[in-house]
Amino acid sequence: MLVTARTVRIASPLRSYTAGAAVVRAAGDTAAQVLADLERHHPGIRFRMIDEQDRIRPHIRLYAGDRELHGLEEALGRDEVLHVICALSGG
Amino acid sequence: MTLAPRELARYSRHLLLGEVGLAGQERLRSARVLIVGAGGLGSPAALYLAACGVGTLGLVDFDRVELSNLQRQVLFTTADVGEPKTAAACTRLAALNPEVRLEPHARELRAANAGELVDAYDVVLDGSDRLDTRYLVNDACVLRRRPLVSAAIHRFEGQAMTYVPGRGPCYRCLFPSATDAGAESCAEAGVLGVLPGVLGTLQATEAIKLLLGLGTPLVGRLLSYDALALEFREFPFARRPDCAVCGERPTITALAEPAPACAPAAGAWRSLSANELAALLAEARPDGPPLVLIDVREPHEYAAGHLPGAQSVPLARLERALDSLAGAGTVVFVCRSGARSERACALALERGLRAPAHLAGGLLGWVRWIDPQLPLA
Repeated sequence: MLVTARTVRIASPLRSYTAGAAVVRAAGDTAAQVLADLERHHPGIRFRMIDEQDRIRPHIRLYAGDRELHGLEEALGRDEVLHVICALSGG
Repeated sequence: MTLAPRELARYSRHLLLGEVGLAGQERLRSARVLIVGAGGLGSPAALYLAACGVGTLGLVDFDRVELSNLQRQVLFTTADVGEPKTAAACTRLAALNPEVRLEPHARELRAANAGELVDAYDVVLDGSDRLDTRYLVNDACVLRRRPLVSAAIHRFEGQAMTYVPGRGPCYRCLFPSATDAGAESCAEAGVLGVLPGVLGTLQATEAIKLLLGLGTPLVGRLLSYDALALEFREFPFARRPDCAVCGERPTITALAEPAPACAPAAGAWRSLSANELAALLAEARPDGPPLVLIDVREPHEYAAGHLPGAQSVPLARLERALDSLAGAGTVVFVCRSGARSERACALALERGLRAPAHLAGGLLGWVRWIDPQLPLA
């Protein structure tokens, strides 16, 4: 089964896992699949977003385009960009 | 209450705007705005709010001006280094606009004073640099029903949102908690100097809009700004029925001291105050149990100044060094603010190191309480 390769925009505090890249590519038709592929290429990044119970961490929000994802199994549209948003603290 | 001739001249460009006019300018003059944090965000916000004639500005900050602040904190000059930020800010703002009443609050925002402070103002701007303060400010604004304009920055990215009581979600609806965020401050992650200028100016814009009842506030929308791509994006978010402070059955009904933003599981590692570490170091004897002090800051920070006997192992290289620390004795990690040293503890625990400790509040606390002469990068 073919899965969609899509653009993922990485929140600034997580870019230490992507060698500084703000935008990466990862394959998947659900957030779970995209994050699994992201983890394969950028080890450690998924745990910063998702806890041991597969819940999105409370300081993280995931959006497909401008649509918020509340669970990892929600389907992503064919051309939808996955945005990873993280609470920032600097002032 | 009418404007004096000198005020008519000073605010003439506002008076030309039908949306502001004389009535709006008088409304600004009677308004009270509280700015939490006189840093990168608070600087441009305070300057613009003072310039445009907001009648009373409160500034909360208990830090002193450091040379490294001047790259982005445009309220201050080189001559202000070492001065309390609120005092230096008030001097600068009074020079800009002597019509503005300035209220410096040179103290840390705590649960005990946050409600009272917030209560005394019409709009609150949060430009603090700690997540736990952000939650405290949010909770105070929700409980006291005060509008809040919140912004934050990291490296080349910023975000902003506005809370208006009864009109939309609060900061906790956006990010319910950040106990495992491991957030880096500007001192650790770096920040493009001009970035807080953009976000702080947006905060001032929101405050003026709220005071004048103009336009559409940034309610229920997270504005994200990427300076490198020069892109603004909006992400909608809704009020959470289960929000701990503004939800249907709130669990936060009074202000309480927040747990540290990166609080570990109880007993996982020890957080030492500067005084406790100083006592440990003083008690350490050559024939006693070894105390290993690991400085996890970057090499240039270590080179600028470090604790006697501290070994330099930057956080990025710590994982490889941990094996050699097993059985080495009591390991204490230190960094600038306590955030990286706490992550070092978490990493050390994952790798099986027993009972690591770290300097809570970092070397900033050490400088404040133990050794003001220790140079920090």
